[in-house]
Amino acid sequence: MTGVYMCTCGTNISQRVSVDGVREAVERMPGTHCFRSGEFLCAESGAAWMADDIAKSGADRVVVAACSVRDHEETFRRVTAAAGRNPYLMQMVNIREHVAWVTEDQAQATAKAAAYVRAAMARVALHQELAREEIDASADAVVIGAGPAGLKAALGLAEAGRTVTLVERSPVIGGLPVLYEEIAPNLECGPCLLEPMLADVLHGPFSERLELLTMSEVTGVVGSYGNFTVTIRQAPRYVSPTLCMGCGECVAPCPVSVPGTFPGGLGGRKAIDFAFQGGLPNVPSIDPAACVRLSEGQACEACVTACPVEGAIVFDDVAQTHERRVGAILVATGASLYDCSHMPGLGHGRVPGVLTSLEFERMASSNGPTGATIVDGFGRAPARVGIVHCVGSLDPNHREYCSGVCCQNAFKYNQIVAHKLPGTEVVHLYKGICVPGKEEFRLYEQARKSETTTMVPFADISEVRVESRADGRPTLSLATTGGARSWDCDLVILCPAVVPSEGTKRVAALLELATDRHGFIEELHGRVDSARSKVRGVYAAGMCQAPMDIQKSVNQAMAATGYILSGLVSGRTITVEPVTAEVDAARCSACRTCLSVCPYSAITFDATADAASVNRVLCEGCGTCVAACPSAAIEGHHFTNAQIAAEIAEVLR
Amino acid sequence: MIADGQAATGSVAAPIPAAFEPRIVGFLCNWCSYAGADKAGSAQVPYPPNVHIIRTMCTGRIDPQFILQAFENGADGVVVLACHPGDCHYKEQNYRAMQRHRMLLRVLEPFGVEAARCRFDFVSAAEGDKFARIMGEMADVLRRKGPRRAGAPADGLPTASVG
Repeated sequence: MTGVYMCTCGTNISQRVSVDGVREAVERMPGTHCFRSGEFLCAESGAAWMADDIAKSGADRVVVAACSVRDHEETFRRVTAAAGRNPYLMQMVNIREHVAWVTEDQAQATAKAAAYVRAAMARVALHQELAREEIDASADAVVIGAGPAGLKAALGLAEAGRTVTLVERSPVIGGLPVLYEEIAPNLECGPCLLEPMLADVLHGPFSERLELLTMSEVTGVVGSYGNFTVTIRQAPRYVSPTLCMGCGECVAPCPVSVPGTFPGGLGGRKAIDFAFQGGLPNVPSIDPAACVRLSEGQACEACVTACPVEGAIVFDDVAQTHERRVGAILVATGASLYDCSHMPGLGHGRVPGVLTSLEFERMASSNGPTGATIVDGFGRAPARVGIVHCVGSLDPNHREYCSGVCCQNAFKYNQIVAHKLPGTEVVHLYKGICVPGKEEFRLYEQARKSETTTMVPFADISEVRVESRADGRPTLSLATTGGARSWDCDLVILCPAVVPSEGTKRVAALLELATDRHGFIEELHGRVDSARSKVRGVYAAGMCQAPMDIQKSVNQAMAATGYILSGLVSGRTITVEPVTAEVDAARCSACRTCLSVCPYSAITFDATADAASVNRVLCEGCGTCVAACPSAAIEGHHFTNAQIAAEIAEVLR
Repeated sequence: MIADGQAATGSVAAPIPAAFEPRIVGFLCNWCSYAGADKAGSAQVPYPPNVHIIRTMCTGRIDPQFILQAFENGADGVVVLACHPGDCHYKEQNYRAMQRHRMLLRVLEPFGVEAARCRFDFVSAAEGDKFARIMGEMADVLRRKGPRRAGAPADGLPTASVG
């Protein structure tokens, strides 16, 4: 029997919709039913009366004709459940916003409300019992990337009692800013700024719950929110992190020198070396391709001989595979710089003294290749420095977006040059200036007021060229329609656009995360959910999601941490909503159309069953796959074809 | 008054009633357009009474066969209202709905349903006025066109059994 409950909402509904008219329509419907009306069914007393009445009347299906489902569908599901009925055997129709408030004529309003009620009765007759499902979930997490965002999140999670595995591809932690001598806008020292976080990760009060895997990459992820199994491959370091005390005695005797491979790497490294001086963990690693013992089998033992600790150097170290079961994954894999070879006219790699921003950061670093001495391509102090902003940013031929952080870095370089080499001229060429924020303007103001600084706008990066003059040093020129200008420089710093790192691309592909057209990890919502990816249980923080500064990166990391802490609580299950899609494997024709329309990567193809399969933890219940399936093999629970067809037929009868 | 639907399922040459009020089925998504219809309600913006709303969670769920079923059951017009581009709660499924709508229009005409009887538009949760305006415009269009002739070729639409 279907119980129809009409709410008059005081007189909000009944002033236009006749209760008796709706009652008559219900009574004319086939099947058994009862009709009740009440004044405020959503109120505590109304809901209690209704639950009691459903139980007493014996109605096994319920139609509620009241206000918007957006207001009270959950209320009446609870009422239905309180009456001992499955809450999904209730259908609500909106005869207030969609009828009484928009239909002036009472007869027309009553007829319309009656049609809605009839349609709901026809629909609810086809409803199936559905249940929210509770599944066990791990409250632990894997954090990929140990830059500022990954470090912050890992510490926050560990502090909250979660076990965290922090996976870092390089031998050291700290991301890009740890390579910077000074951080914009306040010129703090990069390693000093990060030092407390680095130290806490390595040996802070929560470090026992925080597993750091350096030289490691995630190679496989299966499962879904609450129950991921993450496979991590850790490359051999050939130096024992437990025995090595970081004295560095091994480095100097090593006979092999190779070009530096670390980001912004100027200068070179030995086959056994630190990524950079002061990098943490303070343990060198051997590059197996460079080491003559590991690559060529030579009997070299120079590093072992120099090492004061027996057994610290491990030539037979091998790659290890780790498997971690976690509930959530945070991607914090960062960004890199747009490749300047796309703009050969700017001379990078061709003209001596042309550096990228990252290369200049290393030159300005006391642990960098020149020990923080600013030099031109010939080792001399520069008299004039050119800085080119917007190298590939704000440019439809390269990257359309503004990278947001380059201007404050460019003005920081101006300060560094002014501080280290007073009197040096600095020329800024820019397409746009972007220094938002309550602190960032200062560097810009200082540059603007400086008598040794010139600022010149360009319309397109193709107007800017860098060529060697007779003595080999770079001349920066700007050719506009209004004429040409040039500056004989000694050093030119290019500020390339921020682009997703290779690691970000790789991890996004591995986790099947949607990326935007620039390759950054696409957020669930750009304004209100930017720390969540479109795959449930996978979060994103920092430059892998968009170009951003350190402040925003760590804030986003804490936002992701908050999601993980609130969504996954040790000992508590996660709730899976039942309004999801389900594939009937017997009807599936294996065309995989559904896989291509699902935005949540919730559908996979099961080769054994030769059919698609929906992961109901990931399914958000939009129903697009249901409509897209050419074999009608997918059922959209609570919005089945039969239910909707019945509603259409009856509302028009 | 309740059985107002019976007139439209009559014979082939049903005469246009003196005061023809077209019957419109509106397929709305839960998040934007249904909320937009709620907004029209809370702002008490009147629109033609024979608009019947069918809610799905997303316009991506709207199988073109639902629209054919609406015509087959006597609708004079159908309106599909999606979230604005970029605003879809499910990211991009409104684009799927838009693609399907274009495909459907190609099929509707040969079967005797003029394209003007089937409208696709975008209504946000804030656009109560726009919702009422679209329904008013659709009713005007359909009043001029008259009832969709029941029994015309459109009733031979291939509404394959589903589910």
